[in-house]
Amino acid sequence: MKARLPLAGSVARLPLAVSAVLVVVPLLVAVFGPFVHLEAAPGLPYSSQGVLGTDGLGRDVLQLLLSGGRTALGMAFGAVLIAYIVGGLIGLTAASTRHRWLDEALIRPLDVLLPLPSLLVISVVAVGWRASALAITFAVAMVNVPTVARLVRAAALDAASSPVVEALRMQRESWFGIHLGYVGRAVLGPVAADIGTRITLAVFLVASVNFLGLGLSPTAPDWAVSVSRNREGLLLQPWAVLAPAFMLVSFTLGFNLLADRLVHRSRRLVEVAR
Amino acid sequence: MRSYAAQRAALALVQLAVLSVLVFVLTALLPGDAAEMRFTETLTPERISRMRTQLGLDQPALERFGHWFGNVLTGDLGTSLISGGPVADIIRHSVGATLVLTLATLAVVVPLAVVLGIVMGTRENGRLDRAITSVTLALSAIPDFVIAVLLVAVFSLKLGWLPATWVGGDLLASPALLILPVAVLFGRTVCLLSRQVRAGTISALQAEYVVQARRLGVPRRQLLLRHVLPNAAVPGVQELARTGDTLLGGVLVVEAIFAIPGFATALVDGVETRDVPVVQGLTLVLAVAALVINLAADLVCNRLVPRTELLR
Repeated sequence: MKARLPLAGSVARLPLAVSAVLVVVPLLVAVFGPFVHLEAAPGLPYSSQGVLGTDGLGRDVLQLLLSGGRTALGMAFGAVLIAYIVGGLIGLTAASTRHRWLDEALIRPLDVLLPLPSLLVISVVAVGWRASALAITFAVAMVNVPTVARLVRAAALDAASSPVVEALRMQRESWFGIHLGYVGRAVLGPVAADIGTRITLAVFLVASVNFLGLGLSPTAPDWAVSVSRNREGLLLQPWAVLAPAFMLVSFTLGFNLLADRLVHRSRRLVEVAR
Repeated sequence: MRSYAAQRAALALVQLAVLSVLVFVLTALLPGDAAEMRFTETLTPERISRMRTQLGLDQPALERFGHWFGNVLTGDLGTSLISGGPVADIIRHSVGATLVLTLATLAVVVPLAVVLGIVMGTRENGRLDRAITSVTLALSAIPDFVIAVLLVAVFSLKLGWLPATWVGGDLLASPALLILPVAVLFGRTVCLLSRQVRAGTISALQAEYVVQARRLGVPRRQLLLRHVLPNAAVPGVQELARTGDTLLGGVLVVEAIFAIPGFATALVDGVETRDVPVVQGLTLVLAVAALVINLAADLVCNRLVPRTELLR
């Protein structure tokens, strides 16, 4: 291995700070933005009135930006949360059951659903529950359940069959001690790495659905909807598109970078453990 | 080998059966139907109920499913509630543009991703590897539609170099129509794919048989092409099948932005007008395509590295 320059440490730490800022800014806007009310009167379409100008409907872009994060990020977070509650339960049950038929009955149906293109499922759901944030969130969650369940099952089985569990059993450690204390904690590593990538994917999916007009109504302040609606006016008033687009990209980029570090760390931990 | 193929094909058949039921159930259980959608202006209860009888929407769901499934088996996908034309025609007219778009993207993406993946994998953690990794990581974090909107703004609106839509354009007359859409689709797929090839290359290079082959003095080029590549390709091929999903999402977005009269446009239109037979037909075709791609990917992987087991 090459010798490290003294600067290398601080340079290596730079991306962490950068990616943290990239994630935190849109996150703060999404969480606290809806509570901020600017006194912006509706103006002309695509005018430069106000800090970031107005959009195609004459609404203040900054105000839209502040209230648009709740759906853009909230729906994705909600979907991943639901996916992990449902998928995690299926995966853990399948991994911990002593009955093989139960394991098969839980996991086999997921194999059938796995190759379904996600936007297809969502567009079918969108036929009936137009403009419902809840329905889209559930659809995005359901698309993620098969992968989550399989991942959790594999991680739990991997941990449960390790010599450590054997040793704990020999020491007459309690069932809860083994399963929650060791297996549960061992599952957390791969799960954390997976959540990182899954949230970015969910943000993508929710944004694409909303951009296509399959999700929220076309006047919603959502970031993706804003990009879609104002794209004809991009040259007249770039901020109406660029500001919400920047928020989305900043979040996914920062989250990707953080998730990548996490994957590397958990992989290194696995290697050390071996 | 043969038994693996048979098992895998049997799984695909089961998947197909379950999927067709699922497609029907999802579309049949939806609240509201085309009869309501058509007469939003002149909405009288008599007209709606007459419409329902005409469209067969008043029959029980099970009966409708039997009818639909029987027709599907004979290749009849029904007729559109909106245009009145056969769904098969809609599929036939829209499949061309989507196929051209997808194949053109893959023709660019696959060779590039394999080369990039091997370049990165053979220089693990080197300067070049890290540079390409950061670029692909950053690129893959930008949503398709953001890239599309920006590219259109710069190259067609500002500079006027490339056409912004397919409206009134003919693909054969001006292949330039393909450049921007393919550029949009290319970004994320190449990132996802090259990362998998990279990971495959790294793990293949560390495998004992490669170390042994190197010890025996197998030339580097032969080592890479004969021993590393087939193993490195496995995660790549599997990812390619999964890329179908990403690609389809991208195709939906790209077709919407560039007004391409393809599959995705037909699907979005069908969803908007609640044209259930069209949505059913398109969904079924896409689901079958996804199944076939996954089946093919698994068989190819099994051929490359005959050790994958389907059933434990």
